[in-house]
Amino acid sequence: MTVRRRLAPWGRHAALVAWAALVLFPIFWMISTSFKDAWEWVAWPPHWLPHEPTLHNYRQVFTFTELGRELSRSATDQVFNIWPALRDSVVICSLASLASLLLGTFLAYAVSRFGVGGKNFRYAILTIRMVPPIVIAIPILMYYAIMIPHTTTVLFGARLSLFDTSLGLGLLYTVTTLPFVIWMMLSFIDEVPYTLEHAARLMGAGRIYTIRRVVLPLVASGMVVTFLFIFILNWSEFLLALTLTHPNVTTLPVLLNKFQSAVEGRLYGPQAAIGTVITVPVVVLGILIQKHLVKGFSFGMIRR
Amino acid sequence: MADAHAPTRTAVVPAPARRPRRLAAWLAQERVFRLVPFVLVEGLFLLLLAIPFGLTVYISLLKWRASRPFEQAHFEGLGNYADVLADAEFWWALGRTFYFAAVAVSLELLIGFVLAMLVARTVRGTRVYTTVFLVPMMVVPVVVGYNFSMIYVDSGPLNQLLAPVAALLGVDPRIRWLSHPVAAQWAIILADVWQWTSLTFLIFLSGFAALPRPLVNAARVMGASPWQIFWRVQLPLLKPVIVIAVVIRSMEALKIFDQSVLLTFGGPGNSTQTVAFYLWRQVWQFNKFSFGAAASMLLLVIFAALIYAGIYLLVRQRSVALAEGRG
Repeated sequence: MTVRRRLAPWGRHAALVAWAALVLFPIFWMISTSFKDAWEWVAWPPHWLPHEPTLHNYRQVFTFTELGRELSRSATDQVFNIWPALRDSVVICSLASLASLLLGTFLAYAVSRFGVGGKNFRYAILTIRMVPPIVIAIPILMYYAIMIPHTTTVLFGARLSLFDTSLGLGLLYTVTTLPFVIWMMLSFIDEVPYTLEHAARLMGAGRIYTIRRVVLPLVASGMVVTFLFIFILNWSEFLLALTLTHPNVTTLPVLLNKFQSAVEGRLYGPQAAIGTVITVPVVVLGILIQKHLVKGFSFGMIRR
Repeated sequence: MADAHAPTRTAVVPAPARRPRRLAAWLAQERVFRLVPFVLVEGLFLLLLAIPFGLTVYISLLKWRASRPFEQAHFEGLGNYADVLADAEFWWALGRTFYFAAVAVSLELLIGFVLAMLVARTVRGTRVYTTVFLVPMMVVPVVVGYNFSMIYVDSGPLNQLLAPVAALLGVDPRIRWLSHPVAAQWAIILADVWQWTSLTFLIFLSGFAALPRPLVNAARVMGASPWQIFWRVQLPLLKPVIVIAVVIRSMEALKIFDQSVLLTFGGPGNSTQTVAFYLWRQVWQFNKFSFGAAASMLLLVIFAALIYAGIYLLVRQRSVALAEGRG
């Protein structure tokens, strides 16, 4: 018994360290590959660390203008350039997340304080999140690519389309992340005691003043967490971006996928560089809010 | 309640005299405050979800491929639905999706539960372990797909680690995992397990943290063995958390798409074709719009049943989980 007692913690640590190694290995491998030169990508036996570390992959991905001349002859030249995708991703994700956060927070306030939408509103909104994105993508494709151009041609004589535009994708991201915002903000706003607001109102503060000076400061950190959470969701989104944008707008996951489907000679190095660039900032943000992640992913089902 | 207080409230608030305050005053009315966000959000849902779905129902009744202009489409009735239901590949893809989700979610629950239990019992290094274990769910799924394709590649680290075994069996160690139907399916499942065990771990960890200690201590004092404490005390208390983890993960796992595209592109053959991937190919590669519309409506019906079952379970367990979380 005593031997077992003394050995048990070591067994636990051994198991936990083993899983930690499994978790970190793919990320380690990607970062390592991003510093490898072409001949090392698929060397056998594989090199765990680059034998001749190089920044060439990053240079290829980022300094498109420098290499532009020689690369523009190859068919993959557009693929190399990370800047347009980076710009689209940052713009679409941050604006859509912001819009969703503002709308969702106000609605969550109304739901929490006045019971807007009825008792089952929270659950009704959850259903939207559970529908698989492909089921949303097909109707949206027809709506964006057929119905809106047709309608605008008939009504205004100008052909407008939301297909393959930042606005179209951004609107969709706003809608698909709203359930998360409402659920997370509800859990934060529900924690602010109503008596505080009531006291402020009794002392003569207006409704907007009360919200600005009493409620907002108390839920501000919650709003930051929610924003970061839905930003990460939008940043990772792949199916809708792949299906609803083609030549003009590209987000980073779609850009990475373009490499993947290139059959002739996979470009592992630049891919690893792009992967590292996409992943590292998000993981850092995620670690900052990790205590709250469970709130988002479990729709406030679980407290922490 | 609000209406009864309304007169006193307006009396207390100093009446804004200046013009620019009018808008603010109007906005501050309770009914405006209640309705504006609600109407905006519902309007957005109507515009971006309800109308497109209505349109899709209409298109699903037409005979139309995107290669021809929309005006030439003609009405066909339920023919597309019959085509989808008669398509063996649709059912195959649906079956694959449920199989992937079932295997992946069971593994995630099992591993996540064991990890959470181990971390909950550990004294030192809890924070480090938690931080590391949560990293996968922040990684972009497409990057996960790329990472695993790098690991599974024929001259990758997986084959290097297995080389002694391969030598023992007399096989060439450079195995092309993704070219074999069964191995490719497991490749996708393992990538999913790698990424989403972090979530089940997180859910179970908060479940363990919320366990009421007095109960466990009482059981110990009364002479229960650790085994009995686990099966008779802790597990029943964790039941709501387990249900929540099962429902949330299953709903997400059934959406699986990214890894089918990134790792295997549905292949070899159609062995890793999930239902999302199947639909994507029908619509975006073969331009079968009205067929795709019918299939997505059928899928919506199938999923609606699952979603309602899932939400029913969640709502029932949520009250229990929240009550225990306070204890």
